[in-house]
Amino acid sequence: MSPLLEVSGLAKHYPVKKGVIVQKQVGTVRAVDGVSFHVNRGETLALVGESGCGKSTTARLVLRLIEPSAGTIRFEGKDVTKVEGGAMRLLRRRMQIVFQDPYASLNPRLTVGDAIAEPMVVHNIGDNASRRAKVHELLRLVGLAPFHAERYPHEFSGGQRQRIGIARALSVEPDLVVCDEPVSALDVSIQAQVVNLMKDLQARLGLSYLFIAHDLAVVKHMADRIAVMYLGAVMEIGDKGALFANPRHPYTRALLAAIPHPDPARRGRVTPLGGDVPSPMAVPPGCRFHTRCPFAQARCKQEVPELREITPGQRVACHFAETLPDPGLDYTGGLTEAATKRLALYDAARRKAA
Amino acid sequence: MAGANSVAATAATPVQPTAPRRPGMLKRLLREPVAAFAFVLVVALVLAALLAPWLAPTDPFDNDLANAMAVPGTNGLLLGADSQGRNMITRLLYGLRITMMMGLASVLLGGGIGALVGFAAAYYRRIDGLLMRLMDVLLSFPAILFGLAIAAIFGPGVPAVVLALSVATVPLMARIVRGAALVIMRQDYIEAARATGMNDARLILRHLAPNCLSPIFVFATLRFGQVILLGSALSFLGLGAQPPVAELGAMASEGRNFLFFAPHIAVIPCVLIFVVVLAFNVLGDALRDALDPRLRV
Repeated sequence: MSPLLEVSGLAKHYPVKKGVIVQKQVGTVRAVDGVSFHVNRGETLALVGESGCGKSTTARLVLRLIEPSAGTIRFEGKDVTKVEGGAMRLLRRRMQIVFQDPYASLNPRLTVGDAIAEPMVVHNIGDNASRRAKVHELLRLVGLAPFHAERYPHEFSGGQRQRIGIARALSVEPDLVVCDEPVSALDVSIQAQVVNLMKDLQARLGLSYLFIAHDLAVVKHMADRIAVMYLGAVMEIGDKGALFANPRHPYTRALLAAIPHPDPARRGRVTPLGGDVPSPMAVPPGCRFHTRCPFAQARCKQEVPELREITPGQRVACHFAETLPDPGLDYTGGLTEAATKRLALYDAARRKAA
Repeated sequence: MAGANSVAATAATPVQPTAPRRPGMLKRLLREPVAAFAFVLVVALVLAALLAPWLAPTDPFDNDLANAMAVPGTNGLLLGADSQGRNMITRLLYGLRITMMMGLASVLLGGGIGALVGFAAAYYRRIDGLLMRLMDVLLSFPAILFGLAIAAIFGPGVPAVVLALSVATVPLMARIVRGAALVIMRQDYIEAARATGMNDARLILRHLAPNCLSPIFVFATLRFGQVILLGSALSFLGLGAQPPVAELGAMASEGRNFLFFAPHIAVIPCVLIFVVVLAFNVLGDALRDALDPRLRV
């Protein structure tokens, strides 16, 4: 069976122009630079990486809220990069988005009921009565009450608003929900509600998530597979278990090693990455990570590493993925100590309710 | 259902079983005493203007030179008479008619077109530069100059004034609306609306425009006052309402000649202009607040 979403070579380059009257292109911001991944039906692919690595741009490209410069996006095997007009509208019904900031993602002038019903109105689904029934059902589904439909967004807390945003996304029964850091603006106890809700909804409705995050604890809880992005490209992609247990790319290792670890014996064994992320206007030649990679060699400066399958399901963009020295660190350790508290909290919240 | 229920139990804050009923727009508007007063005043002014032919004690052109410049209170003339001996009350009622019509028409016409231009510029960034440079060209001409040009083409009169003031209002409103709309365009809910696949008209009307209402209301009410004064200036230059038509600005400028002998001829229309402008300003502010769901309690 072909995957629900298949992205290959996706790129977004923004021209940088100079000059007031005669504009001249002086450079290119390579926000997303050849990203490939796929999302299977019913699974969650997490896109992780530091700020500015192109995660959100990738999300918007997938939904065609911005137009890609290159690459293809296949939804159920059909290329959607060239789809226009009515066909695009039909596609939009099947892909929805949940935003990071619950305070900015709801129109303050629409009641919650109107906001949730709007996608149905746009796609001519049902009549007024059936839409209202659906709104009430969705509100219950995300743990709110039907009478909340008459209220305005400012009357809700951040977590409640985020759940309203999720209800809006689900109103047209999409197959794929792109979640752009859906919990990073919420505090930890509220995160538990939203993360658990999203998992429950996935189990019940068979949703697929493209889940963007930079919080590895949330990712560990949510994802089936993880793609690690750096400077607009995927460095490593693989199953959650394999990636956490045995990260192959030096960047993935650095990312995982950066998780705070309670074991003092670990001190000194972890060398944090030096330097800064290069500007996406001047992406380094060869491997884009070579400027900061502790294992970089001459070859890395010239040859762009392809994403190669190292073990089944785990693909790495590094020339030396097989031969890197094993730092002997237990990457899950940091998570099991510091962030597992959080994971435990998620589960506790769920148990208490059950 | 276990999953959803569990979420409901952990997540839902304690809530009342039923939503409290929300007071209607008019009710919220009238709760503020000052706003209620302004509302009553505006309604009264509009009624007075509309019903002028029935309310006025005499014909507006009925001059009685024996009573020329009569002081208020003499010969049964409550507000006196103007230099031609015409009853001030009648003249004011008819003047209010023309003046308010002129102000409202210019603000609605010019502001409406300006708002459309502003939304178009903010939404379709490709034509933004072109539209805004056009607006800059319009901005560089003073309203009086438009008045002169339009009066020269169509002949002086109230329609020429309305046209000139509308044209002068368009670029101002366009700039304000464009600025407000650009801010809203960056909000996530606009992107969310786009992601649902709605058409541009729906997006602009339901998501963009309603969130730009505040500056539009503030500017429209401010502009209403300015337009009335500009209209008076044009009348004063002989480009607007032509004598013997009663218009508040024209009445004031005519009374200017007799400021020392009969100050009431100039002062009373000015006071009425002041009251009209103030009432509309206060009402506009109150209306803006009443339309904003965030300010509803």
